[in-house]
Formats: sequence, C-alpha cells, structure tokens
Amino acid sequence: MDDLVVHGPLARPEGSSLVTSLSRDASAATGEVAVRLRGIGKRFPGVIANDDINIDVARGSIHAVVGENGAGKSTLMKILYGVQPPDSGTIEVNGTELALSTPADAIKAGIGMVFQHFMLADNLTVLENVVLGAESLHGIGGAARAKVAEISAAYGLGIDPDRRVEDLGVGARQRVEILKVLYRGARIIILDEPTAVLVPQEVDELFGNLRELKREGLSVIFISHKLDEVLSVADEITVIRRGTTVATVDPRSVTSRQLAELMVGSELPTPQTEASTVTDEVMLSVRGLGLRGPDGRAVLDDISFDIHRGEILGIAGVEGNGQSELVEAVMGMRGGAEGAVVLSGRDIAGLSTRARREAGIGYVPEDRHRHGLLLDAPLWENRVLGHQTREPSARRGVIRRRAARADTQRIIDAYDVRTPGTEVPARALSGGNQQKLIVGREMSADPVLLIASHPTRGVDVGAQGAIWDHIKRARREGLAVLLISADLDELIGLSDRIEVVLRGRLVGTFDPSAVTPEELGSAMTGAGDAAPTTTTEETRG
Amino acid sequence: MNVRLTKVALAIGAPLLALALAFAITSLVLLAAGDPVGEVWAQIISWPEARNQVNILNNATVLFLSGLAVSIGFRMNLFNIGVDGQYRVAVFAAAAVAGEGWLPGYLNTALAIVCAMLAGAAWAGIAGVLKATRGVSEVIATIMLNFIATALVAYLLAKVAVREEGSNVIGTAPVPEGSRIPGIQMWSDIPTEIYGFIVFAVLVGVAYWFTLNKTRFGFELRATGRSASAAVASGISVRRMTITTMMLSGAVAGLVGLPILFGTSPYNYGSTFQSGLGFAGIAIALLGRNHPVGIALGALLFAFLDEQSNPLQILVGVSPDIVAITQGVIVLTVVVSYELVRRYGARLEQRRVAAQLARESAAAKDPRPTTKEAAR
Amino acid sequence: MRRTKFTAALAVSILALAGCGSSGSDDGDSGSGNGGGGGEGDIKVGLAYDVGGRGDQSFNDSAAAGLDRAADEFSISSDESEAEDGEAEAAREERLRTFAENDYDVVIAVGFAYATAIGAVAPDYPEVEFAVIDDSTNEFDNVTNLVFAEEQGSFLVGAAAALTSESNHVGFVGGVQTPLIEKFEAGYTAGAQAVNPDVQVDVTYLTQPPDFTGFADPARGKTAAQGMFDAGADVVYHAAGGSGGGVFEAAQEAGGRAIGVDSDQYNTADEAVRDVILTSMLKNVDVAVYEFLSDIDAGEDPSGTVTYDLEADGVGYSTSGDFLTPEVIEQLEGFKEQIIAGEIEVPTAP
Repeated sequence: MDDLVVHGPLARPEGSSLVTSLSRDASAATGEVAVRLRGIGKRFPGVIANDDINIDVARGSIHAVVGENGAGKSTLMKILYGVQPPDSGTIEVNGTELALSTPADAIKAGIGMVFQHFMLADNLTVLENVVLGAESLHGIGGAARAKVAEISAAYGLGIDPDRRVEDLGVGARQRVEILKVLYRGARIIILDEPTAVLVPQEVDELFGNLRELKREGLSVIFISHKLDEVLSVADEITVIRRGTTVATVDPRSVTSRQLAELMVGSELPTPQTEASTVTDEVMLSVRGLGLRGPDGRAVLDDISFDIHRGEILGIAGVEGNGQSELVEAVMGMRGGAEGAVVLSGRDIAGLSTRARREAGIGYVPEDRHRHGLLLDAPLWENRVLGHQTREPSARRGVIRRRAARADTQRIIDAYDVRTPGTEVPARALSGGNQQKLIVGREMSADPVLLIASHPTRGVDVGAQGAIWDHIKRARREGLAVLLISADLDELIGLSDRIEVVLRGRLVGTFDPSAVTPEELGSAMTGAGDAAPTTTTEETRG
Repeated sequence: MNVRLTKVALAIGAPLLALALAFAITSLVLLAAGDPVGEVWAQIISWPEARNQVNILNNATVLFLSGLAVSIGFRMNLFNIGVDGQYRVAVFAAAAVAGEGWLPGYLNTALAIVCAMLAGAAWAGIAGVLKATRGVSEVIATIMLNFIATALVAYLLAKVAVREEGSNVIGTAPVPEGSRIPGIQMWSDIPTEIYGFIVFAVLVGVAYWFTLNKTRFGFELRATGRSASAAVASGISVRRMTITTMMLSGAVAGLVGLPILFGTSPYNYGSTFQSGLGFAGIAIALLGRNHPVGIALGALLFAFLDEQSNPLQILVGVSPDIVAITQGVIVLTVVVSYELVRRYGARLEQRRVAAQLARESAAAKDPRPTTKEAAR
Repeated sequence: MRRTKFTAALAVSILALAGCGSSGSDDGDSGSGNGGGGGEGDIKVGLAYDVGGRGDQSFNDSAAAGLDRAADEFSISSDESEAEDGEAEAAREERLRTFAENDYDVVIAVGFAYATAIGAVAPDYPEVEFAVIDDSTNEFDNVTNLVFAEEQGSFLVGAAAALTSESNHVGFVGGVQTPLIEKFEAGYTAGAQAVNPDVQVDVTYLTQPPDFTGFADPARGKTAAQGMFDAGADVVYHAAGGSGGGVFEAAQEAGGRAIGVDSDQYNTADEAVRDVILTSMLKNVDVAVYEFLSDIDAGEDPSGTVTYDLEADGVGYSTSGDFLTPEVIEQLEGFKEQIIAGEIEVPTAP
C-alpha cells in the first residue's frame, strides 16, 4: 500500500522530508474502500489535466481533495461523476471496476455531486426541485414528500419540503442540493468548493451535516482550497498539484501551512500588513452614495467613507450586499447613483467612467473575464484597454502599436506575467497571469486611487502573493486603495481599516488588527452584536 | 513545429475545406435534381470573357460596399440587417438631389454622395438610438425599418418620378451628364466599362481598415464588440458607440447604390433599380471575415458566380437557382470551416503557450520540475 | 492578420479553380440548350423573360405560348432565360448580350424592365433583331417595340362591368401604380362611364413602385377588393397579376363579380372561384410574339413600334363561362367597332 502514501514527484528526495513525516497509512483507520482511483489520466491540449491520480476514499469518511486552481481537481471530479471519460486508469466503486460514461452511470453507481453553483429552480418548492428529473423514483406526490422528509430528518438537514427555493438562504439551498443527491440514492457525495459561497457560521452548519452523513456510513469527497476548513472537517486529505496526486495526509498531523506548501510546492506568501503608511490627506471621499435597483429597492443606501493617501480600506460583506454596485458607482459604470464622490478634492460624481479613469483611478475588476480583459485579443491590446486615450497607448486618436507592445513587455517583465509574448491572446494565459497583467496595467498610468475587487480570486498561490505585494507597494507609494474581498484573511491581512457592508449599507467599522474572521462573519450576516467601533449598527429584518 | 508554417497551412486549409465542401454539396444537389454535374461546373468555373470580367468587377464593387457596411456592425456585434433599407433610402435621396442638379458638375456629385451617406446614417441611426436608449434589438428594428424604407421610398418616388412617354419605368430625373462618374475603359473592344466609383470604393475600404485597426475609435469599437462589459469598465460609452457604429454602418450602406446611380444607364433611381444588395452584404461580410480584403474577395466570388448564372441557363439549360444555392452553401461551409479551423488553431496556440512556458520554467529553475513534467 | 491570410488563400484557391475550369472548357459546346423550343432550325431565337419566367400562368407564359406556336410552324430553335427578382441593370443587359454574343438571330425581351438594357445592347449588334414587349422608348433599326392598347381592352371590360352592375358601382384593383397599370384604369373607367356617366368607379393600387409585391400578394388583393364590395361595388376588375386570385376570392365571398386580366382567367384561375369571373381583358402577348417571329420567318426586317390594339386583335375580352349576356356582348361589339373606327378615343392616363 505504499503508493497510497506519497505519489509523484514528492516521493523524490528533494521534497520528501516534509511529506514522509506527515504521511501515514490511510486505510488503516477506516474500513472498506468506497472509491478507488488508480492511475487516472486525462489530457487536454495546453492544460494540465490529470496524470496518474491515485486516491482511495474510505467508506464512512470525509475525504478532502485540495489543490490550487487549475491543479486538476475539477477534471478529476468530472471524471468521477461521469462527465468526461478518463484517458487512462481505473475507477472502482465498492470493489467493482466501473466505466462511467455519463452522470447517469455515476448516479446508478451511487455517486452524487453538489456543484459549486446551485442548480435549483428558484420559483419551485424544495420538493419540486428535489423530484425534478427523478420522478421515476418515488413519483411526485405523497411518497416523494415522505421520502424527502425522511431524508431530511435522518441527516439533520432541517428542510421544509414546501418552501420555495427563492425564500431560502444560501446555506439552506446547499442543503437542498445535498438532499437532491441523497434522494437519488447516492452513497458517495462529491462537494465542489461547497464553502465558497458560505459565511463562517453557515460553514459550521454544513460541516455538521457532513459529519452526520459520515456517521450514516456515507462517503464524502470534499473539494476545497480553504485549508483551515479542510483540516477541521476531513478525515483524510489528498493533495493534487499539476494534475497529479502528490500526497495523502492525515489532518491531525499537518498544519495548514504545510498543506499549502504541498499544494504549491514552495514557500508561501502571507498577506501581512506592514507598518502603517496612512496619511491625513483624504484621497477619496464618498458621501451619501445611494443607488436604486431596477425594482426601486435601494442597492446602496447612504454610503459614506474616506480613504486617505497610503491607506487600504477593506470592504467585507456576503456577496450580493452591494459591493459590486459600490465599486461600479465609484467607477461611474452605473447610472442613477446619488451622492458625492470626491477624488483628491474634485467631485467626480458627474463624470464618465473614462474621465474618472483619467482622473487617476486604477481598477482591478472582480470578474476579470467579463470586465477586465478582451479574452480573444492579444495581450498588447489588453494593455491598451482602458488606456486608449492616454500615452503611450495612443496619441492623437491613433493607437500606437509599437509603444503599446513595448509597454506590455515592460509590464510582463515587471509583474512577472508568464507568457511567450505580447501577441498571445489573453485567453491562453492562466488566471494568475491574467490578473498580474491587469494589475500591471492599472498601475501603469500613475493612479492615485486603486480599486481592487477580489484581486486574488481564482488565482494560484504564487500569483496571489505577487498581487498582494503589488497592492502593498501601491499603498507605500501613497495610493489610496479600496479593497473588496470575500477572503477574510486577505482583508484582515492587507487592510488598514475594514468596513462591513450589509444590504447596501455600511454597518460597522473594524480594526483589522483586533478583529477575528468570526466577528466579521457575524457583522456580515447581520447577526452580530459584536461591532467594536460600529458607526451604524442598525440592521433590519 | 514551425509556428508560421502552421499558421499558413491553417490559413490555406480553411477556405480550401470550405470550397471543397461547397463543391461536394452542390454536386449532390445537382445529382439529385438530375442535372449534368460536369457541364454545370465546367460552365461555372470557366474563365469569363472580358465584358463579363468588367461586369464582375462592377457587381463586386457594389457588393463590397454592402459587405463593408454590414461588417462595421459585425465588428461591434451589431447585426445590421437593415443595410438593404438604408441603401435604398440613401440612393433615392442621392438620386433625387443629383437629379435636381442644383450644383454644377462634380459638386453636384459630391453633394449627392454626402446626402446619401447622411440619409443612410440617419436611417440606421434610428435603430442605433432605439437600441441604445430603449434596448430594442437592432435586428428587429432594422428589419422593420427595411419595410418602412420600402414603403417610404415608393411613396416619395411616386411624388418625384419623371414619366417618359412610351415607357413603363418610373424613376427620378436622371443625373445630369456632367455629374456622372465616368467609367474606366479596360479593354477597348468591349462595350462595358468599369465603374469609376470603384476607386472610391477602394478608398472606403482603406479608410475602413485604418479606422478600425489603427484609431482609438476603431479600438473602442472592436473592444465593445469583443466584450461590452469590459468596454464599460474601461471607460467606453457603449451607448454612444452603438449609435455611432450604426450610423457609420448606415453611412457606408448609403454608398452601396451609388456606383449604379452614377455609373450606369439610366442614371436614376427607379422601379427597376437593383434590390436585395443589403442581404448579399451580410453573406459577403461573413465570407470576408470582416476584413476589407476578405470582403473584397468575397464580393468578387459572389459577383463571379452571379455572372455565371446567365450562360448556365442559356448554354447549359440549368436553372440559375443553382448559383444561389452554391452561394448559400459557400457561406455556410465557410462559416463552419473557419470556426473549425479557428478552434483547432486556438488549441494549437494554447498548447504552444503551455509548452513554451513549461520549457522556460524548466530552463529557469531546476530542481523541481520532474521528469514527468518534462516528458509531457 | 490571420484573416488577411485566410482570405488571400481563398482568392488563390478560387483563381486556381477558375483557371482549371477555363482550360478544360474552351472547346465548350455553346448552344446545347434545351429551353423549350422546337427542334433545330434556321432561326435561333433567345427569349428573355421577366421575373417568373415560363410557367408563371400569366404574362411570361403568354409570351412562351407565342414562341411555341411559332416554333411549331416555322423553322426555329430557341433558348430561354429568366430574370431574377431585383436584379441589376447590368444583369439584364448581360442576359441580352449573352444571346447576341452566342449568335442568336432574334432576341425577344419580355417586359418593360428590359427597356434600358435593349437601348444599351441593340446598337452593338446590328445583325441581331431585338424585340421588347411593353416599351416603346427605343428607336433603332433592329429593335421592334411590341406594345398593347390595354386601355382599349379595358374600356370594353369597363363597359361590361357597368352593364352588368346592379348597384351602379364598380371597382378597379391595380397591382402596382405604374404608368402601364394606369392605362388599364383609364380605359376601364372610360368604358364604364361610356355606358353610364353616373357610375361610381372605386380605384385602388396595392403598392407603389419600386415595390412590386403588389403583383404577387393575393392577401392584399383580397383585402382591397373586400373593401370595394363592402362599399357597395358589385363588379371589380383587377390588373394585379398574381394578386388577382385574392380579388376573385373576395368576389366569391361577397357574392359579386370579378374581371380577369391578360389571359382568359376563366380557364386558368382556381376552379373554386371561376364562376365569379365575368370576363377577362385579354392582352395577347402570344399574338405579338408569334407575329413578330412570323415576320422574321418571312424574311422581313421589322422595326419601330407595333401597337397591338383591338383592330390587330392584340387586346380584347373573353366570353368563357357565358356570363356576358348576348345583349351585353352586342353592346360591347358596338363599342369595339367605334373604337376601331376612331369614333371613340380611349384615354391612356386617368
């Protein structure tokens, strides 16, 4: 059984000291193997997919699969769920070798999957959602309702079958997804990044549910890159790097830092605030910013804050509470915003997005594919994007290709963008390199304010560290930085001050050096009474 | 593998694949209909005579302008189906103005051209404004505007028409002799001349290329076409771009009918004026991949096929509809094969980038990348 | 950049294909056509149809009938080609040129759309005899303009309408408001008023040029005619080509009468509506084509404008179905004689 312990390159001497100390014989602790993957390989042109993946998932256990974005986790799970066939290797479920060519095969074999993005019809009830597509199992009437109630009770899911999905919170929706899978008879459940959309309290609930499943003898495969969570819930952890399994470790004998280093294969960066560079000079002043949605509801409600030169203001909040709108209102991308936006003494509220950019705002958008890049355009054109009115990209209305290419090359060198050249389409780059290019571009026009929205979302750890460094450098150079992030560690690590946004209002100000993620989480969900330096504490509903 | 060589191979492969497919499909249609396949192809691909070559160039000039007009919209992901209505409104305006002869000689011509562009731009601008302000799909708006254009032009033509004794054709007053654009006599022994307007069409093609590829405006237009959301974030006013682009497309559409108006008898706009040019433009823009050179070649191909439909019917006895079928099939196969080749090319590119990065990182650092990765 | 290369390659490949083609077909077989004419003969005739071509049950078919009759009687071989909707002036010109270049002796252009093209082509081929139907603007030694006195035939059916009408109220539906169709209207109105100066004549046109859909839109024809029947008219004459079918339907539904045009529509219309067709204004394009070819066959060199009127039997009215009473026919014959004698001058414009 030693191939279970350590696979791939880390078995070699140079990386092995850490791993060998962590490894242990996984199958000893638990009984039979529910899923056994051997030598799974999958090749796509130009992307690292899977190569010689070996995993054993014990019955009645929670098995975490961790790895960076692009390490091959998703591909592996698609193979296991029958979405894609492997090029090589075997899949055994409960000791029988299977060929899974469609998800239907996987479901038949008792494998279920809960996707990161929920696949629920909002306007249907929980029962209808669960039964949808599985009408042949228990019909759509009383039998189905009884079954749903039974499952909900057995695993402590606490779901009312007759509620409409649109009335449920995120955590409850996720439990509906799990219920759907169980209803279809799954004994092996794959959860793809289940905590990405949850606040800390909901995460705890989810973990409670998972432990319940485990107690009932089900096997859970839990995909994540949030290492602390993995360590708290998993019985075993398999690390995937560059498409191959590099180690299977016991969470009791490993720290999250060690895990991360296994994932990355090198030393890790941390978002640590350096000595304060905050000045008295207000760079950005927002007063009474308000915005109504199409339905007339306030999406932003009387938002006011200042950012000083050399200061990073972090905005924390559960997604969908107005962060995107706040950024877009400051950028002038949303019509109909009220209130004042003053940038270094000048009210820019009436200006167009272009004029605001020219006034010195650099913008790293939250969705780089939608807002930051022209994916099919070469890198140099992406360099021009947003700077098409300014030197060196353009002069007198004509795009200067040569200068733009040269400056793109400068960014590539300065920001360590890994690319063969400036003519490569942006799509060909990895997420981290795309993001580094964007950061480089936004810093290139000497901005006075940098708006960074989820700057490290979906980028690999290496790029994450680099991007953090660039943000910190911007702060040192006297920029005001507005940082929006769902990653509380990132917020706490980088920010000089954190504002929490809830239902379009700023509901509390926190000092990052004195706040815990849990406290932030409470404030974000509106449950919190804890808000040390709260400015406005009212929460509604 | 040599990158450049691969690119060239792919570049030649796509159109060859498309033409071969079109050839095969059309042959099947002919076989099914029981027509003489060999004879039809021999006729279709026979080298045209001098006067036919002139006709091809002339027809291609018109189709080229139409293709350009459509492709301006395409570059911004706007589907301007309304080139047909725009060019009719425009050429009518030009004919009405030129026929009046308010200004002498070529000043009259210039005035008419400006009027045509303004009329086309205004007509297309309606769809642009509707899209930008009310979110009305430009496809729907331009289709509706085509109908309205038909009726409007008919109505106005009836008002200004000059009727000649013994003739059943009604049309505007002919453009005065001094304002016509003389043809270019390519071969002295044939009766047809190349439209002088072809020079202007080439200039428009060059201007199109320069504007779209070299200027900031062109960059913003293309960026908006590639990703409207990214355009917004980078400070481009998508609304304004929508209106401007539609108007620009309409202005070029306004030129479509002018080679005919100024270059061929009866030098007016009337009941027998060529119609349907706007729709041909859509096919040609697709065929030409929105590049002026491609559009020119696509226009030539279509004009060539059109020209061959006459002898096909008279000399081979096969319905000229086979030409329309061939044209349609070519558009389809070209679209399909370019997409196939594009995807294949993109995959090659991605693989190449990945391979190169892997090589670089292998060269740069060393202990880590293992034999396994290097082997990949 | 990639696109440029693609398209360059496209051109190369097309040219290559075209090149192969030409080398292979130089010894081509011109004139292997099988249009629809008779066997091999001395006179080669090219017939250029208007949109619709042979088989349109109307104008083009009438010309085809004339050609077929001539082919039966004379030594003629023929080929045909039809126009496409909305084609370029150059395409029409090229159609005529293709015939002329390929040694056809006679080229007949059906329809006024060819007027400009004939004017451009005929002078270049003095040895070819051209004929054009429905246009009289060209004056060349080798061009014969075949035109019809539609107003005269329309006059007679107008009289028939007024004589048959009980409500003293008749209608006219024109397909497209061209001068040609206005001739029909003018004759029809004059005929009706000759019978009864107080008769009410409703006139409507379906479309305005250059929109020619009015000749092929039965639904619109029906709506227009319905309006007239609803307003009290009981006989409606159409000069609207394919839209006429709708006029017949409207007449049937309203219990009124309709008058056909061009050919004897009692014989060609849908059986269900035949019984409403009081009469048809005949425009004998076949006669014109036949007589023109007959002159050629006789070795003559026709030119100028030949008007096919009542006297030449170029226009007339039909009596199929026997809906016209002998008394009505008697009166119509009286009008006919008066027109031929010049006692009645029928207006050509409303």
